[in-house]
Amino acid sequence: MQTEQHFSASGIPIKDIYTPEDTKDLDYDKDLGIAGEPPFTRGPYPTMYRGKVWTIRRLTGFNTPEDSNKLYREQYELGQTGFSVAPDITTAIGVDADDPMVEYEIGHSGLPLNTIEDVDVAFDGLPIDRVSTYLAERGPITAMYFAVAEKRGIDLKQLRGTTAGCMISWGVLNIPLQPPPRGYRRYGADFIEWCSEVAPMWNPICHDSYNVRDLGLNAYEELGMLFASAIDFVEEEKRRGRIPLDRFVRRFAFNTAAHNDFFEEIAKIRAARRIWYKIVTERYGIQDPNCAKFRVHVQSSGSTHTAQEPYNNLIRIAYQTLAAVLGGAQSIHANGYDEAVCLPTDQSMLLSIRTEQIAALETGVTNTIDPLGGSYYVESLTNELEERTWEYIKMIEDMGGMAQAMQDGWYHRLLREKPIERQQKVDSGEIPIVGVNTFRSEKEPYKVPIFKPDPAASREIQAEKLRKFREKRDKAKHAEAMKRLVEACNSDENVYPYVFEAVKVGATFGEVSKAQVDAYGVWPYPIGL
Amino acid sequence: MDESKVKILMVKAGLEGHWAGLIVVSNALRNAGFEVIYGGNMTPVEVAATAAQEDVNVVGISSLTANYMLTVPAVIKGLKERGKGDVLLLLGGTIYEDDFDALKKMGVAGIFTPGTPMEEIINFVREKTSAKVK
Repeated sequence: MQTEQHFSASGIPIKDIYTPEDTKDLDYDKDLGIAGEPPFTRGPYPTMYRGKVWTIRRLTGFNTPEDSNKLYREQYELGQTGFSVAPDITTAIGVDADDPMVEYEIGHSGLPLNTIEDVDVAFDGLPIDRVSTYLAERGPITAMYFAVAEKRGIDLKQLRGTTAGCMISWGVLNIPLQPPPRGYRRYGADFIEWCSEVAPMWNPICHDSYNVRDLGLNAYEELGMLFASAIDFVEEEKRRGRIPLDRFVRRFAFNTAAHNDFFEEIAKIRAARRIWYKIVTERYGIQDPNCAKFRVHVQSSGSTHTAQEPYNNLIRIAYQTLAAVLGGAQSIHANGYDEAVCLPTDQSMLLSIRTEQIAALETGVTNTIDPLGGSYYVESLTNELEERTWEYIKMIEDMGGMAQAMQDGWYHRLLREKPIERQQKVDSGEIPIVGVNTFRSEKEPYKVPIFKPDPAASREIQAEKLRKFREKRDKAKHAEAMKRLVEACNSDENVYPYVFEAVKVGATFGEVSKAQVDAYGVWPYPIGL
Repeated sequence: MDESKVKILMVKAGLEGHWAGLIVVSNALRNAGFEVIYGGNMTPVEVAATAAQEDVNVVGISSLTANYMLTVPAVIKGLKERGKGDVLLLLGGTIYEDDFDALKKMGVAGIFTPGTPMEEIINFVREKTSAKVK
């Protein structure tokens, strides 16, 4: 019986029912294989959640390093299994907390991390030798983190964690004082090379499509941009030729969103693993299969959460978390249900962690690996998403690669249009949102508890700490290290040994960033109406 | 009322990166016939100076972080200093309900949280500006 045509969220036509006919071209060994075996479609590791469930990793931070440390300790006690640090917007920009430019900006969109002392305080009492940390920044704060770890007697060769560093997720922020994309990519490649030497277990970059997805890209556009950006970094290293490509890509990590279309999101993660395997082995001829494992952190999609009837978001987040689990994610952040209302309260943070724990321990979905493998529908969607992703990658490469496409304005034009398109579809009802454009309640809205950071106090505290820090540091050593860093930024040398040296003798993040940006000049992000 | 005579400055007062809502609302207001100046990220002083220079009727501020209780008063102060205290001031984003009263007392005319239909914002601007603009 024929019914009305249905489409997935990314516009793939969906049939009434899927049958063996839809997967007849699938070659099990070549296209799927078992988990831990190429092409890794079914999972990067042989035991997956039976061996170890995904890492529960919530990206957080607020007010000051001191207050954030309390939060991290609390999350750890509740059973979070990975740390994840969200620096505030001032830190993202690369200016210190006492800069007049950021008078109103401290500690309300993350935490300020200006110095090695801030990093030390943020991780005070936390077992960073055993628990991995994600740092949502691009390199210098990781250098501080490494210095803190060294000081605590931890062998950097064993240190585990991830630095964000991705240009497509950064570009979204549309913030001032950033270098142009090629400068951004250069420091990224410097950082990857340096990490592969000093901290080989560390993931030196996390290619991250979460932000672009949240702005309105669909599932295969998300993957296409994600891989085009990863490829651009590998191409950069190919041109530079400083370290072998297998060493360069070995610790690449990835981060995607989990959006609303349940099966499409599962298929997306499965397709991503096969695509990355093909890029690494077929395109770059890298032999070691360990370099071709797509390891991914998945976060529920903030753009799907609503301020109306906030508890509805609980349900959205649970489904999105389940999609990430069934897709085989290595690490998951279930959002706070109150994301559209405020920074998470203690209660919503607890609930996020519990959402993941309930999926892991109560639902039984971890009992076997890739439980949807072999589903006519899911395999068919996986194939379709893969095919569409390759086309999208090619389109970006035809523009000269991701950094060039950013430089030329394509990326920002696209991202400007996507939220407008989405809003038009919400207005027209094409995208249904329960409680917003369908079943909108006429009753007085119910209230949920809220949490408020204290940005005014945070600024004073940070500025005072910075003043003391600058006073205390060895001025001659600092000046000498900064001079060497500036020279490195203006040469072809890898800058990170100099960043490491500078932060150890008291260079602030703002000072390091300025040295990096000065070498390339500021690139104004081109978002406009 | 001639909507094309109503001039609106749309900004993020500060540096936060969540600009999608600002773009969406700016676009909807422009499509509704208003003259929209998209300011993007500006400091409160820049917002007030631009509002005065462009002689706008409306200033729309978007905030998805908790700094609006610092930036909004700074914008209002700047507007008053420039003789633009009568501007229709709108605030959108993740605004805490228990701040609504204080914000209104300060002079914020309309507060719009995520999920507000575009029509509601457009109608609000139409109603409030029809008396002021001849």
